Amino acid sequence: MVSDLIAPVRRLALVGLAKNTGKTETLAAILRELAEQSTCVGVTSIGRDGEEHDVIDARIEKPRIVLQAGSLVASTDALVRASGLAHERLAQTGVRTPLGEVVIARLAEQGAIEVAGPSAAEDLRRVSDAMIGFGAEIALIDGSIDRRAASSPAVADGLVIATGAVLSEDVEEVVAVTKDAVDLVRLPAAASPRVDRSTGGGEELITLERGLVLNAEPAEIAALLREHPGASTFHVDGALGERFLDGLLAARTERAGRELRIVAGDPTKVFLTRRGPDWYRRQGLAIKVVRTIDLKAITINPVAPQSHRFDSRELRGLIEAAVPEVPVLDVLDESYLALAK
Amino acid sequence: MSSVREIDLERVKPYADHLGDGIVQFSFTLPVPYGLAARKAAQELARKMGFEHPEVVHYQRLTEGYTYFVMFGECTETVDYATLSDEGFEIEYMSEDQIEAFAQEQIGRPIVIVGAASGTDTHSVGIDAMLNLKGFHGHHGLEGYKAFETHNLGSQVPNSVLVARAIDLNADAILVSQTVTQQNLHISNLTELVEIVEAEGKRSEIILTCGGPRVSHELAKELGYDAGFSKGTYPHHVASFIVRELAARGAAA
Repeated sequence: MVSDLIAPVRRLALVGLAKNTGKTETLAAILRELAEQSTCVGVTSIGRDGEEHDVIDARIEKPRIVLQAGSLVASTDALVRASGLAHERLAQTGVRTPLGEVVIARLAEQGAIEVAGPSAAEDLRRVSDAMIGFGAEIALIDGSIDRRAASSPAVADGLVIATGAVLSEDVEEVVAVTKDAVDLVRLPAAASPRVDRSTGGGEELITLERGLVLNAEPAEIAALLREHPGASTFHVDGALGERFLDGLLAARTERAGRELRIVAGDPTKVFLTRRGPDWYRRQGLAIKVVRTIDLKAITINPVAPQSHRFDSRELRGLIEAAVPEVPVLDVLDESYLALAK
Repeated sequence: MSSVREIDLERVKPYADHLGDGIVQFSFTLPVPYGLAARKAAQELARKMGFEHPEVVHYQRLTEGYTYFVMFGECTETVDYATLSDEGFEIEYMSEDQIEAFAQEQIGRPIVIVGAASGTDTHSVGIDAMLNLKGFHGHHGLEGYKAFETHNLGSQVPNSVLVARAIDLNADAILVSQTVTQQNLHISNLTELVEIVEAEGKRSEIILTCGGPRVSHELAKELGYDAGFSKGTYPHHVASFIVRELAARGAAA
């Protein structure tokens, strides 16, 4: 059961690898299970959830979010009122979104509600903590589209990833994309700088200037390596993109054989779209992070709306094989539903 | 012959010749060769879409194996307009003079705006219309305002480079335009930009707005932007939002 896997987490983020990977179905399953256990939940979303139709493809009907009486919610004022549910408004948050200001409310009755919380990571953490302050035993933070910001350790202390058939018509491609995304989420922790210094024999630890990393000009990257011939660990404070990594690889050919380590703040600050961390490691570029993400489970949606479907058991098996040590679930599959009964 | 018909706001439907006739004009392309069978296919499809009395008023060969149709049909559905509201995102638009006065009074320093058609998008028409002096439809762009210091980086700007410039210039707002929407390319481009701004720890400091033919406030919310501007947007609409939002954030110098 997904609720068992997330049990010790206070702030759980749900992130989908694309739209229609079943993230909201996963949230609905978690809510059902926590309701059974009478756990008081707080729910918010970095995007918008529980709307009747998809904002990008109106043909797709979305699952509703049903909350129990006593649940807390951080959503816009207008959406809380539009739910028609009796509620007590506990706080204005001062967080403005294109759909209005986010408020925190406690529902006085059970029912379906649309949730649109803060758009910024920092504000998500703030409203999650506020809901916990008002009595939520767990704050559930739903992601949006394929945004990863909610899963940052600065926001949440546990993560569930949703993946599915929508990623590709080729099942192996779905597995490969999922594996790369999971590898990214589970980037390993860097050894602390102190340890590095003691082992490195005068090794330099270089913190890179942000503009250099963002602009990723090949000439500047090459100059950087020339200036620091002994350095093997580079620290990046902000976003680390593949343009910079590729620039580093190109410049590094001059010092073939030596592995470089590049350390980012956390996995949400690393942007890889074409290749996973594994590929870079094989090229001699190890990507590490200061703060790791605790991945609790992967859920799959074997159906791609308006397109194709895979066998749920087969897809789960392939992902389990590719991504060891993480439970893979399909919350709508008969076997799971039987377990929940 | 004018009978003033009462409009029933609880049962609103499209009209062409007279109120309530439900007539809709629409067009689509089918991947079938031009011919009578294609015409029949279009008619049948329109009927399946729920249109009554569908008619093909024009059809032509688009290229080998593809046919384009313009159709008429009667929509039988209605919506209850009376229960809907504009609630959610209300900005009162100001005129250019009002914006200048508001900015001078509430902000009191030049407002720095960096704009681009980012990612792989090669179309700078949207961002040019909003930012460049020339503007469009007789509304000049933000460059022509005293209140703004604008930097138009053009098209095909990598998101990371756009963010680097915005940080360098200490930008108050980023304006990003996305014209190409095939395969929902605009979605991945727009999410990458907002995630990079988050990763740089600048999300709370920079107003993020996006624009394009398929952008809406609802989509902007899903993507994590502060506002989304669609077709029919003039520069003073964007400007009104930015000065008001800055003032609300208490970002005066």
